[in-house]
Formats: sequence, C-alpha cells, structure tokens
Amino acid sequence: MNTLILLGVVGVTLYPFVNIIAQSFSGESFIRAGEVNLWPKGFNTTTYQLVLSDSLFWTNYRNTVVYTVVATAIAMVLTTCYAYVLSKRKLRGRNVLIGIAVFTMFFNGGLIPNYVLISSLGLTNSLWAIVLPNAISVFNLLVMKSFFENLPEELDEAAQIDGLSTFGILFRIVLPLSKAVMATMVLFYAVAFWNSWFQAFLYMDRADLFPVTVYLRNLIAGASTAASSGGGTDLAQVASNIQSVTMVLTVLPILCLYPFVQRHFVSGIMLGSVKG
Amino acid sequence: MLSIRKKVIATGALVALVAGLTACAPGDDAEVDLSGKDVGAMANFAAGEQFTATEPINFSILFSDHPNYPLKKDWLLWSELTERTNVTLEPTVVPMSDYEQKRSLLVGAGKAPLIIPKTYPGQEEAYVSSGAVLPVSEYLDLMPNLSEKIEKWDLEDSFEGLRQADGEFYVLPGVHEDIWQDYTVAFRTDIMEQLGLEDPKDWDEFRDVLAAIKTAYPDSYPLSDRFKGDSLLNVVAMTFGTSAGWGWDAASWNEDDKKFEFTGATEEYRAFVEYLHSLVADGLIDPESFTQDDDSAIQKFVSGKSFAISSNAQTVVNDYRPALTETVPGATVAKIPLPAGPAGNVLSEATRLENGIMINADALKSENFTAMMQFIDWLWYSDEGAEFVKWGVEGTTFAKDADGTRTLNGDIDFVGVHPGAPKHLQKDFGFATGVFAYGGATELLESTFSEEELAFQAVMKEKDVLPLAPPFPLEESEREQATLLETPLSDTAKQATLRFILGQRDLSEWDDYVTELEGKGMSRYLDLVNSAYDRYAETQ
Repeated sequence: MNTLILLGVVGVTLYPFVNIIAQSFSGESFIRAGEVNLWPKGFNTTTYQLVLSDSLFWTNYRNTVVYTVVATAIAMVLTTCYAYVLSKRKLRGRNVLIGIAVFTMFFNGGLIPNYVLISSLGLTNSLWAIVLPNAISVFNLLVMKSFFENLPEELDEAAQIDGLSTFGILFRIVLPLSKAVMATMVLFYAVAFWNSWFQAFLYMDRADLFPVTVYLRNLIAGASTAASSGGGTDLAQVASNIQSVTMVLTVLPILCLYPFVQRHFVSGIMLGSVKG
Repeated sequence: MLSIRKKVIATGALVALVAGLTACAPGDDAEVDLSGKDVGAMANFAAGEQFTATEPINFSILFSDHPNYPLKKDWLLWSELTERTNVTLEPTVVPMSDYEQKRSLLVGAGKAPLIIPKTYPGQEEAYVSSGAVLPVSEYLDLMPNLSEKIEKWDLEDSFEGLRQADGEFYVLPGVHEDIWQDYTVAFRTDIMEQLGLEDPKDWDEFRDVLAAIKTAYPDSYPLSDRFKGDSLLNVVAMTFGTSAGWGWDAASWNEDDKKFEFTGATEEYRAFVEYLHSLVADGLIDPESFTQDDDSAIQKFVSGKSFAISSNAQTVVNDYRPALTETVPGATVAKIPLPAGPAGNVLSEATRLENGIMINADALKSENFTAMMQFIDWLWYSDEGAEFVKWGVEGTTFAKDADGTRTLNGDIDFVGVHPGAPKHLQKDFGFATGVFAYGGATELLESTFSEEELAFQAVMKEKDVLPLAPPFPLEESEREQATLLETPLSDTAKQATLRFILGQRDLSEWDDYVTELEGKGMSRYLDLVNSAYDRYAETQ
C-alpha cells in the first residue's frame, strides 16, 4: 500500500519534469495542440541548437555560475564565523548579537532605501551587489548555530588544554565534525543563489551582467505577455519549446548537485534541530 | 446662463488648447528660464528638419529588453543614430518582463535615466506628486514635430485627457494618426464556407453564425476564448457604447446629463451583459472562456474542438494558423471585421494614444536640456525619425520606390516577409523594436502589414468613431480617495458581470446588484469624479 502511494507521489513529482523534457524535444505545433505528454512528438534538437548558439545565454550562464560560487563561498565563511561565535554560551553580549540578526528577519529598509544604499556604495553593476547583501541568511545562521551548540563543550576544553587557539579549535575540531551541516548549508546557499534573479534584476543595468535566471524569466514572460500587449511590431512569440529547452538547461546542473549532498542533507537538518 | 457658458467653453476650449499645446503652459507660474541649457541644441529647429546636435552629447535612457531581440551594442540603430544626430544613447537595460517594477524603483530612488520610454498614459500619475518627472507640457514649444502632429491629426482632445489637476501633463505619449483596431474575433473560415455563412455584420448575426456552427457540431462550444475573455468583453462593450474587459473604465460620460455615471450600472452595460449571457446560455460560448489560460484556449482552437477565438493580426499568424493547418488538414482561419452593435458601427477613440516617454525632472538641470527635447521630438515624432526606427537606413536595410513603397532587402527578415533570410531587422539591426517604433502615421504603420491585414483595416476605417469622454483631473488627495473607492467598485462590477454572463446569478437580480454598488460607495465615487469634472469645465 505504502509502495503504491509513494509511487504515486513519485509520478506526480516527476511528471512536470518529464513533460518539460519531452516538450523541449518536440515540434512546436504538437505542443500548441497539447499532444505532448511523456514522450516527445516530432522529435528534433533544433531548439537546443538555437538556444545553445545564443551567446547571451552562455554569458548569462557563466554569470550564474560565477555568482553562485563566489556568493556561496563568502556566505559560508561569514555565516560559519557568526554562527560559531553565537554558539558560545559564555560569550558576553551574545543575546544582542542574536537579536541583531533576528531583527533583520522581521524588519528591513524596504526596496527603494536598499537600492539607494547599494548604489551609493557603488556596488551596482558588480558582483558584490548580489553577494554582500545576501551573505548571511538568518535562517541558515540559526540552523548552524544550534548545530554548533550541540557539540559537546568538553571537546573544546580538551582542545584548549592541548594548546589549540580559538581558530585552531574551529578549523581542526569543530569544522571536521560539522561536515553534515556544512554540506546542507552549501546546498541551501547554492540553490538560493542559483535561483535568485531579483537582486541581479535590481542592481544590474547591462544584459551581459544578468544571471541566466533573468534571461529565462524574460523569455517566459515575453511569451506570455506578447500576445496581450498588442503593440504591433513589439509583438513576437517565443516558442514554447524554447522555454522548455531553457528550463531544462537551467535546472540541470543544480539538479545534479542534489544526489551528492542529499545524504548529508537529512542528517544535517536533523542534527541541527531535533537534538537541541 | 449655463448654456451660454457651455458655448463659451466650447469655443474657448479650442483656442486655449491650441495655445496651451503649442506655446508654453498658460503663464500662472513663472516662465521657466532655459538660458544656458541650450548647449548642443539647434537654433531654429523646425518640423521636418533633421536634428543634429551641434556637439556630441550623451543621454541616458531606460531600455526595455525584449527576449526575442535582446539589445546588442553593434546594432546599426546606435551607430546610425549617432551619425545622424550626434547623440549617443546610454541604455540602462531592463528585462521586459519586469520593466515597470524597475522603472518605479529607479524613479523612486531618484536614479532614473533621463529618458524613460515605454510608459503608458496613466502610469505616470504615480510619480507626479513627488516631482520626479518633468511636466513636459511646459516645453512643447521645443518640440515642433509633436506640435505639428497634434494639430494635423486632431489630437488636442486626447492630449487634454492627459492633464493632471495642476493643468500639466507628465508623459509624452506615442500617437496614432488613426484609430487602430487590431483585436477582434478569428473564425474557422473553412467551416463558415462549408456551412454557407457570411461574416457577421453585427452582434445578432454573430450569434446566428455561432448558432449555425453549434447546429452542425452540437457537442462543441463554437467559441472558446483566450485572454480570460477580456478582449471579447472589450470589443463587444465598445459597440454597445460602454466599456469592459481590457477597455474597462469605471466612469462613463453621459452626454445627455453632462455628467459621469458608473459604467457597471448603466443601461448600456446591462444590455451588453444580457447579450453575452444569451450566448453562454445557448451554449455558443465555452463557459471556461473567462477562466482558462491562453494555452488551453489555443489548444481547443487548433485541435478543431472550437471554431472561434479572440485574436489580433499576429496571433492568427503565430498561434493559430501553423498549428491548425498541421492538426486539421484544410483548415483556414481569419479575423472577421468587428461587428456593429447598438451604439452603431463604431470604434472607441480611446486607442489613439500609445505608450510614450516620461522625462526625469533632473534633465532640466542639464545644459543639454533643449537639445534633448529636440532630439526626442525628432526621433519619436518626426516622419524621418519614425521611418528610421522602423525601417532602418534606406539603401542598407530597405529600398523605397518612386511611389513611396518600401521593401526590405532580400537578406533581411521581418514579420516573415523573407523567411529563412540570414539577418533579422529586429535582432541584427535593432529596428522596429517596441522602444522606439510604435504608432505614428497610418501609412507607416500599415507599411509592414500583410495583404490580409490591410483588407481588415480598410473595413475598420469605414467605422464611425465614438466621441472621447471629457477629462476629470483629480487632485492628489482626491486621486487616493478615488482609487480607494474605485477598486472595490470595479471588482464588484467585474465579478458580477461574469456571474451574470455565466448565469450563476440571475439577471432579474440586476437591481440588487446596483444596490450593492451603492453600498460600496458608488455615489461618493461619482461625486468625486463629477466635482473634478466641474472644476475642470470651469477653467476651460
């Protein structure tokens, strides 16, 4: 019985993916007529060739990779440092530091003040406009903090007695024991940065700086608004299999990341939350 | 007394309009000093003349980036523009998908480029009170081409409708020489021919045509619509002398009483709702028409399950025809001329202003201000500018023969004239894109139309034009209140409209519905609108 239900869940979850993949290899008229389900009809790869030959797509794709890698690296360093400090119960002013972080979960300056801040700092049109404002996600910070709190304090003390410095303890004792939560955090950050488009949309003024998500979003929106905008020359259709091709190409890499991080993922979350 | 004043208004209005539009704004506030702001400007720039800045200038511009033809720096558009005008544009590229959001962010943060195109009349209202955008009406004397077009194409009334409560307007709209009705309903012409049906002249015949198709295909809904029905509601309501769907306007002008009424409570609107209800009740329109997404509607049409669907010229060519001919051999599809309604064989005037340009108020501080206004005037409003942004460069992208017919070069494709050509007018040259090229002279607009569309437009031109409603410029505080009242009123009306049409609510409950509108503050809303109108009428 369980097997049946779970197979059903698998089917429901996989169907959209398979459908998109099938569409990406199908002829346009079959998609329009709604005849494409699990298997491509009018099989062709011309759209793949078309999208892959668009240099802007590749520029944007490279941007996404660079933004994701740099942003995740910086976010990991900063979040780890912050979380480790917060996990020390004896630290004076610890509650203030937590308060500062949590405060930003509920209140922020709003869109326009943020924009004015970022542009006054001269960060627009640079990688830093995407990386710095999102370097610490408070949710991730709290998960990491409670994970560190659950490491036995005795380990710390033993290491101190053996002559390790504060950083030595972090690097040689704590981090090797925290692979699970680190992997989880990397996944969280990487997926978030990979998928994010809004920051780039706000702060980038040139098409060659956009990540591929902005490219994709424009493509999809272009297809759905073109028809209703009615403005003669401005009106053009993006074929639905171009959409599906772009979606497949965009989702693929981050999808491949999951299986490798998956096993750390569950244990990381469980360790962080339940044991506390 | 009143009638005398009306006459005075009528004659006085025209004089005041022409004066107000061609010269500086009526001088209640101090004349703006433009001395020292004419660096690069031409001394005697006149309509029909080539604008060329006397020294190289750069202007920043917000650019809506279309996914089908993303901006390229090596477009002929940019280099030729600089060559002709000595102006270099510095685009801030914004994806078309979220253009409006970025625009309001940039204007709100005070970081907007000087030239802000693709702004639809009405969208500028949000920025007026902050002083972030320029009251362009004060500077029309710098724009000879626009002034000429307003006069030649009788656009005074349309422009009058743009004025805010302070008497100025803040957007330079795109202008159409004639009304351009693109949307109507497309039919399966092979089925119509097979059943011996003619194009319907009015909405009663339209019903007969659908009924005949229903008789032949009893299991089908002859019309299954897309655009959530908004296009159909728009065109039907227009010919019933009211507004709905895309054209929905909460306040309708009543010429007999000289005041505004709430659209959803008028007799015309009721007749319109009753008509559509009868189509749904007879099974002629798919009830899902008002909720399904476009793709579902298209699928039903191209797979032969439905026989009519709302359409414009492009959707026939792009969405319907290719898939239909493949799935249903021998099938043909074409737009039918818009049927006439109780208001006559008419079109509504509302469509002559297009999206246009807002100007950052900071531009006034620039020493190149005058040159910028002249540049905008040339690029967007002169005949040469309009031809340039649409067709490109004569000899390079197109050729023009003795009687003015333009033909695109053989190696360049645009709207499918040279399929398979190696280059594309939009993608590779940057011409005919929505940022610079829209509206304009009918001759230019129709120069890229297919034979089929030209025939359709010829029929449309025979229609009468409904007069424009007068404007009612609201003060800042009133506008806020009007929006607060109007939003729930419009929501109630739209919701009730669909329920009446679909038969979920009986039409005998119409009076209850009007009472509900009253409960939502209909008369308070109308008081606001009418008092604003009276105030406006007095100043004329």
